[in-house]
Amino acid sequence: MTRSIIIVGAGPAGMAAAIEGVAHGCAVTLIDEAPRPGGQIFRQPHPALRAPDVADPAEQRRKADLLARFNSIRQRIDYQAGASAYAMLDAGALHVAKGEATSIVKADAIVMATGVREVAYPFPGWTTPGVMYAGAAQSLLKAHGVLPGKRVVVAGAGPLPLVVAAQIIRAGGDVAALAPLHPPTAALRHLGALWQAQAIVREGMRYMATIHRAGVPRWPGFAPVHAIGQERLEAVVLARLDSNGAIPGSEREVACDALAMNFGFAANSELPAMAGATMRHEALTGGWLPVVDALGRTSVPGLFVAGDAAGLRGALVAEAEGRIVGAAAARDCAAIADLPASLAEPLAVRRKLLRFQDAVRAMLAPVAGLWKLADAKTTVCRCESVALDQLHFALAGGHRSLNEIKRATRIGMGWCGGRTCMPMVTALAASFTGTPPLRMMTPRPLARPVTLAALARQTAA
Amino acid sequence: MQDDQAISHDGQDFVFLFEGETVPARRGQSVAAALIAAGTSALRIDEAGHFKGLLCGIGMCFECRCRINGVPDQRACMTEAEPGMRIERQQGLV
Repeated sequence: MTRSIIIVGAGPAGMAAAIEGVAHGCAVTLIDEAPRPGGQIFRQPHPALRAPDVADPAEQRRKADLLARFNSIRQRIDYQAGASAYAMLDAGALHVAKGEATSIVKADAIVMATGVREVAYPFPGWTTPGVMYAGAAQSLLKAHGVLPGKRVVVAGAGPLPLVVAAQIIRAGGDVAALAPLHPPTAALRHLGALWQAQAIVREGMRYMATIHRAGVPRWPGFAPVHAIGQERLEAVVLARLDSNGAIPGSEREVACDALAMNFGFAANSELPAMAGATMRHEALTGGWLPVVDALGRTSVPGLFVAGDAAGLRGALVAEAEGRIVGAAAARDCAAIADLPASLAEPLAVRRKLLRFQDAVRAMLAPVAGLWKLADAKTTVCRCESVALDQLHFALAGGHRSLNEIKRATRIGMGWCGGRTCMPMVTALAASFTGTPPLRMMTPRPLARPVTLAALARQTAA
Repeated sequence: MQDDQAISHDGQDFVFLFEGETVPARRGQSVAAALIAAGTSALRIDEAGHFKGLLCGIGMCFECRCRINGVPDQRACMTEAEPGMRIERQQGLV
């Protein structure tokens, strides 16, 4: 009897898991919200649109290679583009919305390859149009052939801001300033780890060379503390930070019409949590993460997580882990008797690159002062327009858990389902009370907005 | 290398309407991308009266929702622009 696997997410982990599942004779359903496969890192433009690929040539080759392998199995799987998995209530069943209809899809194994989303911190003016995540700026370049602005300030932690600044330059854009929270040399404390990942380091050095040649003003250790503008961004104030916030006198105002920023990532882990999987919290690798074993198995039978959704480790690890977890899912649902010998390769890739993440984490290390920059009226929850003073009022009133904060303030009740604000609220609450909230906000069954009409129009899968 | 990768915002395949004004777009662009290329970053006005624009660009944050062909709360970053679309800036909670 043919065994079935549902995979959620068509990024590197999901595509690799699908390829592996097909190789082991499984019936694979791949559910993805985007119109084309690739996820965020290998995002593809519409075929009719000329959007120059500004990624490093090495990344372009990896993208072309994985997409070619995926395209070779695409006709043999049930690939659902433009579909959203919005709930998982029971083991082995996933609730999926597509267009104005919903369905419950059942399978012997479910693999979540849902990746991560970006996070930032609130500061005065951060809701001004033109202030966007670095990945949003990158998606404008990659998928739409559009520059994020005429003059762009790029800021943030980790490697992504450097990559995005270089890609804006390669696309002919003007980077008005680059403010890396930690200088790239922060990674040099982990020379052994860098040696393990020389190819990635060389990519990083090519991006740095692009930034250097363009003569971009660089402000290492600075971060945005104020965004100025009403209908559009006019300037960003950068300042050096200490643990209390901006260091007085260090402020620099930079005229710009876009700010591309990234201050870390949060794992898209709502569905495993909703299904009852045991979770753990690790701020630097994605916040609330499902606890998984070496083969991606969660505490829920038949539910696996692969790639960054199980902890931020990058696209190369995600692809390797997609293969590992795809094979493990096939083995666990008895499509095959044993794990294939070919898994030695992705297991070795993952092992080797995990050490590189020590160097990446050194560039992502949090700075306490980031959480002191919002003033009383700065918006924390963008969907419900809730300001910092309302969060502080709730915390001062004794509300400690994210669930209590949500009920007391409406933070997290809006359109995004708390995905934008809750990583920030966790850090802001820790900054205000000295103790981080103990549990994640209870994920509610609609992980994506679904219309009542679509819920009523439930079709048999 | 820089030249053949340079992005040009010139050239259009069709137009749509945003707040009654024509906006050029190319086939395959999102509504948000076409508006940003045209210099419009304020996509919405929230219930406190503040302008809001694209934040995540990947459909997660819902900050860019617009009324598209009469249907409210459509994400501009996830909606492919089409010829003749009528798009309005939402104000407050609709």
